[in-house]
Amino acid sequence: MKHLHVKKLVTLSAIATLVALGMMVVAIVAPKPILLVLAMSVGQGVGLLSLALYLLAIVLDLQAGGAAYEAALESNREAVDDERP
Amino acid sequence: MPIHNTEQLLKAVALVSAVIAAVIILWYLVRRPPLGRLTKSLLLVGLGVFPAVVSLTGNIAGFEYTLSRPFCGSCHVMDPYLRDAQDPKSKSLASIHSHNHRFGENSCYNCHADYQMFGAITTKMNGMRHLFEYVTKYANTGPDGEGGPPIVLYKRHDLEAKKLTEDQFNAQMNGMCMQCHSSHAAIWVEKHEAFAEDVRANKQLCIDCHNEIHPLALSRRPKKEGTR
Repeated sequence: MKHLHVKKLVTLSAIATLVALGMMVVAIVAPKPILLVLAMSVGQGVGLLSLALYLLAIVLDLQAGGAAYEAALESNREAVDDERP
Repeated sequence: MPIHNTEQLLKAVALVSAVIAAVIILWYLVRRPPLGRLTKSLLLVGLGVFPAVVSLTGNIAGFEYTLSRPFCGSCHVMDPYLRDAQDPKSKSLASIHSHNHRFGENSCYNCHADYQMFGAITTKMNGMRHLFEYVTKYANTGPDGEGGPPIVLYKRHDLEAKKLTEDQFNAQMNGMCMQCHSSHAAIWVEKHEAFAEDVRANKQLCIDCHNEIHPLALSRRPKKEGTR
């Protein structure tokens, strides 16, 4: 379940970053007052939000991955203990 | 695109960074690779590092551009001011200062910016006010802003609205000129001897006498019948 959330969050973050990059690039190529203001406010806001989403996705993924890793480590330890004479 | 100054270099860095970030993001969106360590690292670069570079360099390049005369002239109401400033035959103060090699390309900003501490910030905040006024009052006006309200210097507007005292207004107006023109230089003292102390004390403004600043401005043109 968490894995699905992670994928969705990363996709959302990627799309939002593309939007933010588009706004910033337009302001660089055609520096009109409104475009500059939009790039420096909305564009950067969206960019920051998308990075936050990506970091959230990574944290969720690490939490899920971390739990699975602990479980695998535990079962491995038990298997090793069983094999001991 | 040839690179001649820092602003162009920053723009080039921003555009290259944007392309790299976009390629990484599109690769992820199209290929949908599993979120392994390599993919996560690449995405961190594509979603974090390169966009941050675009944002930073784009901001600096954008800010640099906002100091330039073409930026000020990009709203059509500023056309008469821009035409005069660019005219090499004009004898107006705007044109004289615009043909200065040191800051001619940024002449609007140099004369109109607040010169005190945090002046760049207060000037940019006023710039936002310009944009608001333009969008709400001047966007649909004629070629040079005909039909719109008369364009008034903000500081004069603030003086009339009592947001500035007369002393503050005078100090700011003379301060703009005197950041370059010393009132203690011999030739200045020679020419202004009779009222030098008044000018230094901001009791008399430089522009009271040197008033041919923007001769093509609508407010300086003879009024036609039926127009504002």
